[in-house]
Amino acid sequence: MIKTVRFSTVFAALVWCSVGVSGPARAADEYGIANEKVVQFEVKVVDIACQLTGNCPANCGGGKRQLGLVTPDGKLRLPVKGQTLFANAIPDLLPYCGKSVMVDGLLIENPVMTIVHVQNLRETADQKWTPTEAFEADWTKKNGKAEEWQRADPLVKAVIAADGVYGIRGLEPPKK
Amino acid sequence: MTLGRVIAMGMAAVGLIGGIMLSTSTPRAQAAATAQTKRVQVTGEVIETWCSVSAIMYAYGTAHHQCAVWCTAGGIPVSLKDKSGAFYLILKIEEDDSNIANPRLATFMSHEVTVDGDLIERDGVKYLLVTKVFDDKGVVNLTHEQNGIVPFGN
Repeated sequence: MIKTVRFSTVFAALVWCSVGVSGPARAADEYGIANEKVVQFEVKVVDIACQLTGNCPANCGGGKRQLGLVTPDGKLRLPVKGQTLFANAIPDLLPYCGKSVMVDGLLIENPVMTIVHVQNLRETADQKWTPTEAFEADWTKKNGKAEEWQRADPLVKAVIAADGVYGIRGLEPPKK
Repeated sequence: MTLGRVIAMGMAAVGLIGGIMLSTSTPRAQAAATAQTKRVQVTGEVIETWCSVSAIMYAYGTAHHQCAVWCTAGGIPVSLKDKSGAFYLILKIEEDDSNIANPRLATFMSHEVTVDGDLIERDGVKYLLVTKVFDDKGVVNLTHEQNGIVPFGN
């Protein structure tokens, strides 16, 4: 009897720990960045320039403007990165312009600038998290499939063709 | 006309003028009343905000120029880092208020520039609305010999 009680107690404790520590919801991947903190909060998506200056085009600028996340305590947070390599989460956040959405990610409170790496979104607590990968899907729809979007992007190609990988015309890396 | 009546008429006139001013003020003027704006001139390197703030990799000068252009095309915000180490997030450049994959900003990446602008600080971010680019020295921070091309090497 004692053994049974102990086993069930340990089992219950393990279950409690697994739920209590990791929760039923996905937590963002940590990067080991100084001042980073895993966060999950419900935010209102806004156009930052509109929020700060009152210059407010329709639909938060339709993907041409940086978006902000207003947290329940009224802070304006700056999302700078999504899950696609070298890309922000603007295409994931834009459908929520003026609305609320739940964000899972990293809040990085660097003294020089506070930023958010938005890793997953969902509308309600009972939904699964959706990774912020809309940039690559949108890019592929517009430009076709590429092994690395960043090297095939028309704007990137034009800038690098003009000034080279170092940004100085005529200065090239040694040939392989 | 009694003194009391004169005062009452004066107050009504002030209220009427105030009401007209409120009803005709632009959204910009209303926002300006809540966001404190400061005129500044900043000289610094144009950088992409993710790699530089996170310090996830070396993120300056010629070594990181290619990645800075990639990130700008990917909608990562563009900032200006001045010589004191302060970061200013660029929300607007002269008449152009688009700030995602902006072709003009992409051509400025890694350049040393001097700009005039309106600074608004909010919740740990210095937002800069550039009103004039005064000087553009091009890329002067030569970091590739020490760092190679970051990321992925040559």
